[in-house]
Amino acid sequence: MKIITRKRVLTLSLLLSLLLILVILISITMGSAKVPPLRSIRILFESLLGLKGTGNETERTIILSLRLPRAILAGMVGAGLSVSGATFQALLRNPLADPYILGVSSGAAVGAILVILLGLGTHSLGLPLASFLGALLTVLMVFYFGRQDRKIHPHTLLLAGVIIGSFLSALIMFFISVSQKEELHTIIFWLMGDFSFSNARAIFIIFPYIFLGIFLLYFRSRQLNLILSGEENAVQLGVDVERLKLISYLSASLLTAASVSVCGLIGFVGLIIPHSVRLVFGPDHRLLIPASAFIGASFLIASDTVARTLLAPTELPVGVITAVFGGPFFIYLLRTRKVIKTL
Amino acid sequence: MKNHFIKLIFFLSLVIFLGTSASYSATLTVNDEAGREVSFPFPPKRIVSLAPNITEILYSLGLDEEIVGVSNHCNFPEKAKRKVRVGSYISLDFEKITSLNPDLIIATGAGNTREMVGRLGKLGFQTYVIFPKNFDDILQSIIHIGQVVNRDREARGITEGMKRRSQRVIELTKNLPRPKVFVQIGEAPIVTVGKGSFADDLLRLAGGENIAGKEKEVYPRFGMEEILKRSPEVIVISSMNPKGDYQKILQEWTRWKTIPAVKNGRIYLIDSDLLDRPSPRIIDGLEELARVLHPERFKKSIQN
Repeated sequence: MKIITRKRVLTLSLLLSLLLILVILISITMGSAKVPPLRSIRILFESLLGLKGTGNETERTIILSLRLPRAILAGMVGAGLSVSGATFQALLRNPLADPYILGVSSGAAVGAILVILLGLGTHSLGLPLASFLGALLTVLMVFYFGRQDRKIHPHTLLLAGVIIGSFLSALIMFFISVSQKEELHTIIFWLMGDFSFSNARAIFIIFPYIFLGIFLLYFRSRQLNLILSGEENAVQLGVDVERLKLISYLSASLLTAASVSVCGLIGFVGLIIPHSVRLVFGPDHRLLIPASAFIGASFLIASDTVARTLLAPTELPVGVITAVFGGPFFIYLLRTRKVIKTL
Repeated sequence: MKNHFIKLIFFLSLVIFLGTSASYSATLTVNDEAGREVSFPFPPKRIVSLAPNITEILYSLGLDEEIVGVSNHCNFPEKAKRKVRVGSYISLDFEKITSLNPDLIIATGAGNTREMVGRLGKLGFQTYVIFPKNFDDILQSIIHIGQVVNRDREARGITEGMKRRSQRVIELTKNLPRPKVFVQIGEAPIVTVGKGSFADDLLRLAGGENIAGKEKEVYPRFGMEEILKRSPEVIVISSMNPKGDYQKILQEWTRWKTIPAVKNGRIYLIDSDLLDRPSPRIIDGLEELARVLHPERFKKSIQN
């Protein structure tokens, strides 16, 4: 196995960011409205340079106000969910862990559904704010019940998360069964994960959380490596394990909360991306975290592009696409590469 | 004395005659709009309506006491809200319906499922199904319900009026340019009306062109990009969500200034019950639609 140097991390990040940019460029050339690809890219670059040349007003609106913000948002959510998933898998030492395993998603869903049912506006910031608050409250609750003697025991925490998550799911089922037709439609789409709920403003709102979460985890990647080989080991090597666990769990939960708040529950990204990255680049978190972020971002942008265009003019919820790709791909990995061993 | 006795006999036989004729009243057997044979005591005295448009039709025909149960969605007229509720499209309260012991249940093929009607049949209830698919069908359905509940004359009166008013709208808008219209019935996700929806039919009659009129789905979901591309000249918001805030939806649209409808401020709100509910009030929806599509033509003719 190659030695991981800062230089290697940097080179890889650079390469993967090129991939990400490529995916964004492809994404903005595709859509139900036919804007010639080269003109789309020219519109983008000219506006980046502050120019206003190519294309008519409608084309510029489509590229700059619709496709680009959506690609950026999908990228941030993809990165957030992938890094969150990678962290949960390491902390819980469970290959099936995903960003939603501690019930954060159900909390977010309850918040979102309440806003939808109370008619507080699905467009304004009410929806993301409520689901973010719902997610945070759930995290606090899970930590309150899941810690013993001020220590985090992965299994207790996991159990607390699963139980609280199930309880909240029951609440969700209750809300669904009493909701009206139109509300039901909105709720279902939110639960399937869908970017049409968000707008460009959401980018600036979730950016700090995504950025902060990924960096907090990246700077602890060496310690995360140590904890994988056993907590006692890590303690002997001078790691403040409880502090590490607390910060990592909270950062990962924050990433999940910020991600789901703008687009609902998008499944599979947080599960398959970290596993795929581990297979290719190995389990070292110094590489795993940045690589998951870039590849997760690229994957979700690509999935959302497919969701927008596959049945155009009808848009599909992106969660459907990630599940359709993600499920079989994950089974394939399981059958051929023995994912569990690489964790 | 003898005279009195004869009178008594006569009176008693009259009572017995009336009594038997009441308990063995006429039975009507008809085919409903789904082609099923339905037979029920005529005229039915205890009717359950399983859809809002059916309830509206029954009230418009002058029924009230005969309506013993309505669906959860029935909100018009105001009186309907006080009737016993028998569940929604997706989940009927069979127990409640049984307890009401209706002579006749009227259902719609557009909302109630075949299984539901079948189950009602197994419980021993007769269900007449209407299945209107466009404006002209609605007139037919009103006539049919009129026949079924013994209000033919009233039904004909209503449909004649509707026909007259729709003819007038068609006449007035016939030679006008047809603006491109986007009808929004859902806000998140954005859902519009495609081919086969009532609103699409109304748009055609009101002299407009539905930008989603060629979509195969009845209620297609549209991305904003598609709407920008098809650049509607008029946007009609007909949200099904009663709590949806019109101002907020309006605000949302103002961000897309390249859409002609937005640029020219031609965004209107029309109650979705008038556009998408096959009831007698749909004629109000048609006229309102015509008014917002061709304001110059209707400025004088119809008072708002």
